[in-house]
Amino acid sequence: MPVWLREYSWRQSGSAVYLSLPVRGVRVTPANIFCTDQYLKVSIPPFLFEAILYAPIDDTNSTAKIGNGIIFFTLYKKEVAMWDSLTLANANKEKLQYLRENAILKAHEKAKEETEAKKVTKQEHKKYALEATMKLEEAERKRIEDLKEKERQKVTKELELWKKQQKDAEKQKRVQKEGELHQEVEKLKEKKKEKMNKTRIANEGTSKTSLKPTKGCHGSYSMFSENLKEEQLPAPRSTATIKINFTSRVFPTALRESRVAEEEEWLRKQAEARRTVSADLSELEDLKEEEKNPDWLKDKGNKMFATGNYLAAVNAYNLAVRLNNKLPLLYLNRAACHLKLRNLHKAIEDSSKALELLTPPVPDNENARVKAYVRRGTAFCQLELYTEGLQDYEAALKIDPKNKTIERDAEKIRHLIQGTTQDS
Amino acid sequence: SSSGGLERPQLVAHVQRALNYTLFDCKWVPRSARLLCLGSAARGTGVLQLYELRGGRLALLREIEKAKPIKCGTFGATSLQQRYLATGDFGGNLNIWNLEAPEIPVYSVKGHKEIINSIDGVGGLGIGEGAPEIVTGSRDGTVKVWDPRQKDTPVANMEPVQGESKRDCWTVAFGNAYNQEERVVCAGYDNGDIKLFDLKTMSLRWETNIKNGVCSVEFDRKDVNMNKLVATSLEGKFHVFDMRTQHPTKGFASLSEKVQKSTIWQVRHLPQNRDIFMTSGGAGSLHLWKYEYPAQRSKKDSEGAEMGVAGSVSLLQNVTLSTQPISSLDWSPDKKGLCVCGAFDQTVRVLIVTKLNKV
Repeated sequence: MPVWLREYSWRQSGSAVYLSLPVRGVRVTPANIFCTDQYLKVSIPPFLFEAILYAPIDDTNSTAKIGNGIIFFTLYKKEVAMWDSLTLANANKEKLQYLRENAILKAHEKAKEETEAKKVTKQEHKKYALEATMKLEEAERKRIEDLKEKERQKVTKELELWKKQQKDAEKQKRVQKEGELHQEVEKLKEKKKEKMNKTRIANEGTSKTSLKPTKGCHGSYSMFSENLKEEQLPAPRSTATIKINFTSRVFPTALRESRVAEEEEWLRKQAEARRTVSADLSELEDLKEEEKNPDWLKDKGNKMFATGNYLAAVNAYNLAVRLNNKLPLLYLNRAACHLKLRNLHKAIEDSSKALELLTPPVPDNENARVKAYVRRGTAFCQLELYTEGLQDYEAALKIDPKNKTIERDAEKIRHLIQGTTQDS
Repeated sequence: SSSGGLERPQLVAHVQRALNYTLFDCKWVPRSARLLCLGSAARGTGVLQLYELRGGRLALLREIEKAKPIKCGTFGATSLQQRYLATGDFGGNLNIWNLEAPEIPVYSVKGHKEIINSIDGVGGLGIGEGAPEIVTGSRDGTVKVWDPRQKDTPVANMEPVQGESKRDCWTVAFGNAYNQEERVVCAGYDNGDIKLFDLKTMSLRWETNIKNGVCSVEFDRKDVNMNKLVATSLEGKFHVFDMRTQHPTKGFASLSEKVQKSTIWQVRHLPQNRDIFMTSGGAGSLHLWKYEYPAQRSKKDSEGAEMGVAGSVSLLQNVTLSTQPISSLDWSPDKKGLCVCGAFDQTVRVLIVTKLNKV
């Protein structure tokens, strides 16, 4: 149950109402005050004050001043008139309720309108800002374009001017040269006349030499400079050869044809394979430390293979594979064991798995791939699947063409195939 | 090119022209506003076109057709008055043409068994001293030096030893021609070999391997004591070698720079400033670089032998002009900043590089 505040005092002028409401013992904030054009409420739990005003007021401009234990309202009347009382006298419950609800609705609508108006103004401001920025950028761009265009025109002008100068200079040179030529010719003619006047016979030789320049002077003044230059030029160099070597390939091929990417992939795969440790360690708890190392197991397997103990070798490889199923050499060696044990299908399986793991094909894993193909080929042949066997032998030969053993075996298989087709 | 550095040189596209043949090389005709385009027509013949820069366009002055497609050309060994063009073609023939009378070549020899990939000339154009010579590098693995006064046989031949499998020679360049006797030839091969041949002593002076095929080599100046050599390669790399100090085992000091993933087809130094050079790329871009020398160009190693110190290179500007590789590039020797480039999109473009004086 709220505590109604009934102690208040008010006075009025023609245009405004001044209401003081004492609120003792509680802090008042603007949130506690609710006002519409005909309804005023102050709610500070548990205190409550409400008033249906005598006449409408301008609630946007009216003010409430929160003082120390008192709220002072200044309410501006919508119509200038003197009120008989602050509140409506004959306000019954229903009217009160209606007014209350109305008031709240109105307040809501007002609030909505205000937010809408705010949004619109914000949008407009944004748009304006954007347009302004765009204009600035456009202006900047234009300025630069203009500068560039000016430069271009300046340079074009300079170019034309220079061209003109060149032409003029050339013309001048030509005129000059021709002038000089004439002078030379005149001088020589003079000299000739002089010499001829001196003695006729003794000057046969000299007159010949002085005739030479005059021959070539019909327009091509270049002859002069040509002759002069030739005198200063050294003779053509005596012919010689320099033998060269080219840098041998560091990578298998020159970088532009290199397969560095694949080689790196192969190395990465190897590194990853080393790190793989398969699950199932629970079963392997009773193994010794070294028996958990795939490399150690591989070595053990190799040793047993060498002594002819193929079953034990297979066991060793099996265990190694359980620990790390990404090492191609394990499968490769196990395939060899299976061949010896005549487990031909298993040999084929293991060789295939090894080949799978030996990708990408790089020079580094050439040997391994050759062995895998040979072993698989052998297994096929022992199963009398000679065509498949030959395919694998030929694949091996492709990698290692110089291997005579493989070549011979491939030949043998070919003969066998030809023999069987003849029989059937 | 970024807008924020208008103080930097700008690569401004001036004029371009679409051609109806594959363009392999483009060269400025010295002392003129004319340029030559060399290439291969669709029907498998060689094309030579002479253009002149007039106002804002390229005017075609002359078109010459030859039997074999032409791969490369140079004016390097001709005099300023004659301005004869030396070309290498797809059939391995070296020809020298007088463009005023191009029906019969002034000099002709079937120099190589396969296409001549690259050609350079020295001793002409009033630059440097010594005999005019032309060097050609071919897919047949040999590099040959020719003197236009000697018919049929080269004056020097750099070939693989008997039994050695050949590698294509992709690029050649002359250098160190600072007096009448001295001269070197640098050759780059498709396996990354770079070899430096000394023509005075007729010997191999230095070799190295930069792993990727060498597309282009050039000395910063042909006619001075060799100073710097730039070699560009596949996979977007180029190397700058300091050629002033040769260490007995380590050779020449170098720096390398990676530009983009694509091949760097050409490098050309600015004739008016040997520390600025442009590289052209397989993605249709051009990059303008400046080399800065280190504080000390040489230092002593632990055993007291002199070794060079490489400097640094900074990118001044770059621009992308095409989607196809820009395979040829030439600076005008007469107008600073004017350059022509040819791309595999059958377009020849003339560019102006501005503000080179301020670099």
